[in-house]
Amino acid sequence: MAWFTDRHCFLLAVVLYGLSAIYSVFLWRMGFRKDDHVNYFLLLAAFALHTVAMFKRGFSLNQCPVNNLYEATTFVAWTIVAAFLVIGLLPQLRFLGAFASPVLLAIGVFALMPALDPPHGPQPEFSGALRSLHAATSLLAYGAFGLGAVAAGMFLTQQHDLKFHKLRAVLSLLPPIQRLETITGWLVLAGFILFTIGLEAGRYLPRPENAGYWQDPKVVWSIFMWVVYLALLALRWMRVPSNRGFALSIIGAFMFLLLTFWGTNLLSPLHHP
Amino acid sequence: MNLVVIGLSHHSSPVELRERFAFAVAKIPDALKSLRESGVASEAVILSTCNRVEIYAATALEPASAFAELKRFLVRRSGVAGGCDSVLDCGSPLPLSSAVPAAKAPEGWRSSEPRGSSQVHGGNAEFSGDEVYSLAEPQSLHHLFKVACGLDSMVLGETEILGQLKEAYALAHRHGHTGARLNKAFQRAFNVAKHIRTETNIQRGSVSVASVAVELAEKIFSSLQDREVMVIGAGDTSEKTARALLSRGAHSIIVANRSYDRAVTLAKELGGRAVPFGDWIAEFQKIDVVISSTAAPHHILDRTKLEPLMKLRRHRPLLLVDIAVPRDVDPEVNFLENVYLYNIDDLQAIADDYLRLRKEEIARCEAIIAEKVKALLHKHENRRWKMEDGTSTSPSSILDSASSL
Repeated sequence: MAWFTDRHCFLLAVVLYGLSAIYSVFLWRMGFRKDDHVNYFLLLAAFALHTVAMFKRGFSLNQCPVNNLYEATTFVAWTIVAAFLVIGLLPQLRFLGAFASPVLLAIGVFALMPALDPPHGPQPEFSGALRSLHAATSLLAYGAFGLGAVAAGMFLTQQHDLKFHKLRAVLSLLPPIQRLETITGWLVLAGFILFTIGLEAGRYLPRPENAGYWQDPKVVWSIFMWVVYLALLALRWMRVPSNRGFALSIIGAFMFLLLTFWGTNLLSPLHHP
Repeated sequence: MNLVVIGLSHHSSPVELRERFAFAVAKIPDALKSLRESGVASEAVILSTCNRVEIYAATALEPASAFAELKRFLVRRSGVAGGCDSVLDCGSPLPLSSAVPAAKAPEGWRSSEPRGSSQVHGGNAEFSGDEVYSLAEPQSLHHLFKVACGLDSMVLGETEILGQLKEAYALAHRHGHTGARLNKAFQRAFNVAKHIRTETNIQRGSVSVASVAVELAEKIFSSLQDREVMVIGAGDTSEKTARALLSRGAHSIIVANRSYDRAVTLAKELGGRAVPFGDWIAEFQKIDVVISSTAAPHHILDRTKLEPLMKLRRHRPLLLVDIAVPRDVDPEVNFLENVYLYNIDDLQAIADDYLRLRKEEIARCEAIIAEKVKALLHKHENRRWKMEDGTSTSPSSILDSASSL
């Protein structure tokens, strides 16, 4: 079975994300009135395949698989689904999966683009542990931001239905909007803490010669994202944006992150030597 | 042994009549004992609620005889005149102005229907006998299962009846008035009710305005514990809504009414406090749910008043339930952030939608019940064909044996 590589494994996981996304549309059409067991198990199966893919890649490289855009992207998706599988153990929060699966499908399809996974060059001569810590915590942070955006999406859906007196607001099994708002806040805070650790770890990584740290596009972008999330959390603490405004901002910030992450990575001499 | 049922319900008789046939809980064991000693039934359960009085009995008599005897028993116990089969002796004939005083409704029994909705003569509802229905197998089993599932209730799909049926069965069982037949039938009825509750939407949602308001609150707030509720205007529906919120854990109730005395009375009943009508706005900052039903001809709360109050609330959501007609709350208020305004039509529309969903489930529930009744009868039939030596057989295998000889 040498032909069955980690990419094949990941492809199967993406197929399951796709099936989950299709089932999520069905759940949405049903007004989220049906319990979400099927979707949970689909994502669990996808997660298992996804984990196998990452392990295969990691063992083949002998280090944490976060070395190129494909690996980084799959890692982000992995953290989103891992976080969901934990949170989704609570029945009321299981519908996060219905909102997360389209995002996972989109990330998965993007990750499978061949250009994102070039062959690996010679390994840089520095400690793998710090590099793994930097990459893992940063990507975990993106996963938390992603799931926070998903929870914010659920909040906006439920809030809209309640505002406009839709029957599915009461019929659906979605959690109360106050709980969704709290979960969004906690996920963004968790993501921010992880992001801070990741950035701090990255500061101490050895750099190639003639590669400036503060001028690197990825570093500038990361600091910018860090400031954005800090500002959102601070404003939230001061109760300045409305609940709806906060939810929209979280979704907007994550969309910006998703759309610009790969570009800045490619432009960065530190990340793409 | 046939399982039969006889009784009256809200479908067949007005409350003025039902209350006279009702059994007090304390008197049921004696009634069951008396019923069994008379030889009519070897097993019996009496179900007596606001909306029905029924006797479920396992009897060796032919159904027609059993019905007559059970009806006589009911009539005798109630003291209501008339309604007996003209062929059968109902005991001493009792004219309408009977020397035997008519039975009063048992203590603590509360009618759920408004008075005056039935045909009443001289203060006593006429009993013609047609109000009593009687069913033998398989219809009796079908009826029992329907009652357990709330399909025969005044509010379709209500769940209270299952608890009442369980209590009635437990009482009879505790006093030794049930046997294999009724035990099996009632246990199966409870299982069917559970099955239907999980597999269908017949018990889903709320069909009263008050319950819909509580459901909405539960969709907005993580928990109703520690929620402050304000009742403006002390009407019947707003009282019911406040009680429903309290039963789900709402923290406290503040009542404001034009009549301060009425506000105090209601607040006392609800375990809350009253505020003068002019001061209700001052309490707004800490309120989470407002139930409004004043008789004011104009809006008592509009966007201009509410907007500055919302700023003080630091983005905490506010649920406004406006039950008044004309409306107390300006509809424009719904456009404010974190405000969720529902008027009486919105709540009623949700309640009607729930009722429609329940009605759509009736056919499915009936199909499930029919299947379960068939399975129970089949099982009972197989047991009947057990031979005396303990081997079991069935009608078809007897025929096979005969043809092979």
